[in-house]
Amino acid sequence: MNKKITLRSIAFFLLLAIFIILPFVNDSRTLLILLTQIFIFGILAMSYDILLGYTGIVSFGHAMFFGIGAYTTAVMLKQMDNTLLIFVLSIVIGMILAGFISFLVGLLTLRLKSHFFAMLTLAFSGLFLVLAEKWRSVTYGNDGFTFRAPDLFRDRMTFYFFVLASLVVIFLALYRFVNSPTGRILIAVRENEQRTKSLGFNTLHYKVIASVVAGIVASFAGSLYAVSLRFVNTSVMAMDITLDALLMTIIGGVGTLVGPLLGSAVIEYAQHALSGLARDYPIFERWIIFFGILYILAVIFFPKGIIGSLRLLFWKWRGRLKQRKTTGPLPQEKERFE
Amino acid sequence: MELFVNLIINGLATGMLIFLLAAGLTLIFGLMDVLNFAHGGLFVWGAYAGIFTYMWTESFIVGIISAIVTGALLGLLTEKFIITPVYGNHIQQILITLGLMLVLQELIKVVFGPNGVAVKTPSYLAGSWEIGDVIIIKYRLFIIVKGFIIFGIFQYMLKRTKIGLIVRAGVQDKEMAQALGIHIKRVFLYVFMVGAALAALSGMLMAPYSGVIYAEMGMEYAILGFIVVVIGGMGSFSGSLLAAILVGLAGSFMAYYVPVLSLAVNMILMAIVLIFRPQGLFAMRKERTS
Repeated sequence: MNKKITLRSIAFFLLLAIFIILPFVNDSRTLLILLTQIFIFGILAMSYDILLGYTGIVSFGHAMFFGIGAYTTAVMLKQMDNTLLIFVLSIVIGMILAGFISFLVGLLTLRLKSHFFAMLTLAFSGLFLVLAEKWRSVTYGNDGFTFRAPDLFRDRMTFYFFVLASLVVIFLALYRFVNSPTGRILIAVRENEQRTKSLGFNTLHYKVIASVVAGIVASFAGSLYAVSLRFVNTSVMAMDITLDALLMTIIGGVGTLVGPLLGSAVIEYAQHALSGLARDYPIFERWIIFFGILYILAVIFFPKGIIGSLRLLFWKWRGRLKQRKTTGPLPQEKERFE
Repeated sequence: MELFVNLIINGLATGMLIFLLAAGLTLIFGLMDVLNFAHGGLFVWGAYAGIFTYMWTESFIVGIISAIVTGALLGLLTEKFIITPVYGNHIQQILITLGLMLVLQELIKVVFGPNGVAVKTPSYLAGSWEIGDVIIIKYRLFIIVKGFIIFGIFQYMLKRTKIGLIVRAGVQDKEMAQALGIHIKRVFLYVFMVGAALAALSGMLMAPYSGVIYAEMGMEYAILGFIVVVIGGMGSFSGSLLAAILVGLAGSFMAYYVPVLSLAVNMILMAIVLIFRPQGLFAMRKERTS
């Protein structure tokens, strides 16, 4: 047990060191922007995995919270001032707002079964999209608006480090959360809600907690996203954002925190690379098709995603090693989707 | 008064179109317990295949047939390759059909081009009648009549024929139906194909109504279809009809009296229904614990 933890933390610090040194070694602007984007969507995908991977609920309204964060930050930076203080304040307000709304929506919707819940989240996020489109005096509708980022973030490098630091903090916080007693109960809800209920846990209560945590983190990602573009429009609320988060989580691996990060890296990089290829080969302009197919295959053949499949291999390999010494049962991974 | 009648006719026409879309969904969900998120993709494929055939052959009826055939074929492929591996697993069904939706929508842009296509109503359905001050647009009346005919056919098939008996038995108890010698897998396949064909048909009929078709319309209308299915109660045919008419009427009245709310009215309707009656207005049976 002890050995595994050190192995993990070594990997963690090694990766962190690489990402800290990287901008000094390779000062390519595109790489820096790409990595920033990967980190931001990594945060979003991690928050989505709290719902999908840890609690086992499919939400189609996640973009709503992303959008709340993005708009809060964008509107405050435009209407008030583009200082760092306002930026931090806007993040906090966005998170509070997202937390409050996810609490309300969760309370209303989470007692419903999987299909109905998915539909209702879709409806709520649709309402928010309409609100953002109609409330033109604040949101400028579909056209969106540009705004000035805080002076400090003019420098792409500073912003990169800020996002990296946020990612690390969020990752550690969520890691604590999923390994806390509450997090364990969420996993129990995923595995068998009926049984968890009969053990005396109020499962609705825990599902609302998961939805609030996911909403708050998604709002944070939205704030960062708005600043990274220095522009916001209603596309931050659109279904595509939820789909992206979903794809990243599924491809990377549900029920892990590293999985969504990896998924974010894979998808953002592939998106970047394929849109580069599209200049020469027009077929790649429709890169979503490749993703769609990849995603369908992933759901059928690798429901655990990259990380989950690797882990399964690892367990099997270790099981075989152990079997040579003792004849115990194979440590099997539990099936994810149930 | 005239205004009132016009609004009702508009609402009914929209409602009927949504009903055709929702009928496929409700059929598939009712029997197979599959929530098909790719329904919008089938819808838009029906619209494109039908309209392109229509423009090519200049016959609206050939276009409709081509849409139905396209829908059924796509349904066949979808059931075989996408749905079969994930029977009985709700979350995976949602995820996989959503993936298919993405693929179908993008493929439209590859096959038919990324831009929207303007659609003309066939000459014998274009124009309108004026009765007093009431203006009745022919195409809308056509849709309403067609909707009721299809509802009638399906109701008759489900309630009076042997096929309907088998389907209803499958809905009631899959295992028992199988034990009595019904090849339930094949029934599933046929039901899925019929549902897909209905989606394609509604896409085809929607095209002249909205005047333009584009790849993203699949998702937009699919959401409307879902809302109707949820309001009506999943798996209930008459529930879907009633909910579709309700949504259509609410939309047409809101668009006139409170335009700001018109985009949100369906969502609000669904949210209210779900909060007070989570199983929908006419649930066929209690939702099984999943």
